[in-house]
Amino acid sequence: MNLKRYLSIVFTITEFELRKLRHDPSQIGLRLVQPVLWLVVFGGVFTRIRAIPTGDYSYLQFITPGVLAQSVLFVSIFYGIAVVWERDLGLLDKLLATPAPRSAIVLGKALSAGVRSILQAVAIITLALIIGVDITLTPLSVLGVFAIIILFGICFSSLSMGIASIFRTRERVMGIGQAITMPLFFASNAIYPISLMPDWLKAISIVNPLSYVVDAMRGLLVTGDLSSLPLDILAIFIAAAVLVVLTSFSFRRLLS
Amino acid sequence: MNDKAVVVKGLTKIFPRVKAVDDVSFTVDEKGIFGLLGPNGAGKTTIIRMLLTLTKPTSGGIDIFGINALSHAARVRQITGYVPQGVSVDGELSGYENVAMYSRLYGVPGSERGQRIRDILRYLGLQNRAGDLTDTYSGGMMRRLEIAQALVNRPKILFLDEPSIGLDPAAQMALWELIRRARDEFDVTILLTTHDMNEADILCDRIGIMNRGKLIVTDEPSRLKSTMGGDVLTISSTTPCCADKLKELGYSVTSNFTEGQFDILVSNGERSIPHLLESLNEAGVKVQSVSIKKPTLDDVFLKYTGTRIEEGSSWDETRQVRRTFRRLTE
Repeated sequence: MNLKRYLSIVFTITEFELRKLRHDPSQIGLRLVQPVLWLVVFGGVFTRIRAIPTGDYSYLQFITPGVLAQSVLFVSIFYGIAVVWERDLGLLDKLLATPAPRSAIVLGKALSAGVRSILQAVAIITLALIIGVDITLTPLSVLGVFAIIILFGICFSSLSMGIASIFRTRERVMGIGQAITMPLFFASNAIYPISLMPDWLKAISIVNPLSYVVDAMRGLLVTGDLSSLPLDILAIFIAAAVLVVLTSFSFRRLLS
Repeated sequence: MNDKAVVVKGLTKIFPRVKAVDDVSFTVDEKGIFGLLGPNGAGKTTIIRMLLTLTKPTSGGIDIFGINALSHAARVRQITGYVPQGVSVDGELSGYENVAMYSRLYGVPGSERGQRIRDILRYLGLQNRAGDLTDTYSGGMMRRLEIAQALVNRPKILFLDEPSIGLDPAAQMALWELIRRARDEFDVTILLTTHDMNEADILCDRIGIMNRGKLIVTDEPSRLKSTMGGDVLTISSTTPCCADKLKELGYSVTSNFTEGQFDILVSNGERSIPHLLESLNEAGVKVQSVSIKKPTLDDVFLKYTGTRIEEGSSWDETRQVRRTFRRLTE
């Protein structure tokens, strides 16, 4: 199978996953509830009391990239549930009986979760602008943020599909997703700087992909400090690639 | 072997706790309709999944149109189409989109894709609903759409797993007609599984009867029925010693558990009745009624396996499929 055909399969899977969203756009609205709470309530309160030192930037500026990253994480980490559902219906059997390679199916689905997250991000950035958060929006910063979100979406949706292929029921995928999202969130620089953390938490935050995502987006949207951007992108890219490959191998286990 | 679509030799699949398929060998003729008939759990679906390269056999060989399915899975997938047992259309996509997606996954060339999708939807009578979300479709329409998805690639062989399960009788009849027509129109070989004797009888050129992982007998439906030795006449009579009289007259009497009723096996029921009645009359036996029963595949199944196809579990399964249909259409 040549690369052109491979990519055509990846994009076919992505396209039709996204078409489903077109038929039911209410999903995006529902997923905005949490980010609104984080930004308006949590962010609003902590900005006023100045409890967390965030240097030259307001606390709202500081957590906007964090809330963006968190909401992408939420969209992606439960993606495996949809795959289990498709398995239960027999859709997955049929998909795996086509000549499409497993890795192309996994990558196509993961990519759709990434693109889906962009819609989410656009809504959150709009919200941030409405409540008056000062963020830098240039073509470069927006494209950069989108690229990072897609990579991050691929990373965690393939992790979720990997979990689904091992644990095989919707309930367990849901439970595991819930069990890991909050620890990931709190062990990152999303809502407070790493410098404030105790040492053991610092150690975790260094291997937490979420920290790199937030750091990259914070550089692009708030501080303009892009010195760590290449490292951030490399870290996310490696995490995404590894997870796609591992999930492609275990994907078969969803059947049988 | 040139005109064989499928050659299966010594196929065995052992799951951790159960031998699902036990040393099964059969061949399917090109452009034939071959049915694997048996109760649930007989191993039919496992065989189909092995032929489709979804499950690896424990041992044995599979050739699909001369391609070794174990070493060339990708090539086999390119020439097969599959309609699984559950509902496998995507309710969140339109009928057209469902077919379009599969046409692209199978690599139908872009230049002819649109035309082919429209043609196949029209062929299956779905052109007027092609733009609607498929969760508004009826069960019969969903099944037709699944066949469209499988045929859009012009496969050489089509696998149908319990094609009419969950459909009402009218939709079943329509589906059978459609499957037969599709075979002729698209020159496709069809391998299906069913636990429905009637479906196997009407639809298939050849049948393999399966029970508990083993393929017990393979033949044409009519020949399987003729192995039953003829028609069964059931005579009811209150005359004592009727069975003995029948035996004296040279008829082979088989058991009938209802008192005063006797089953006898004859080669041609219609022609035997007048003579039988005359003889019994002369012997002083008073006959209340005679009924004739042609052998069915049900009887054939009973003869070869010693059991009837368990209706209980299949009903359960039907109910489950109905539930998925309903879930999709709500």
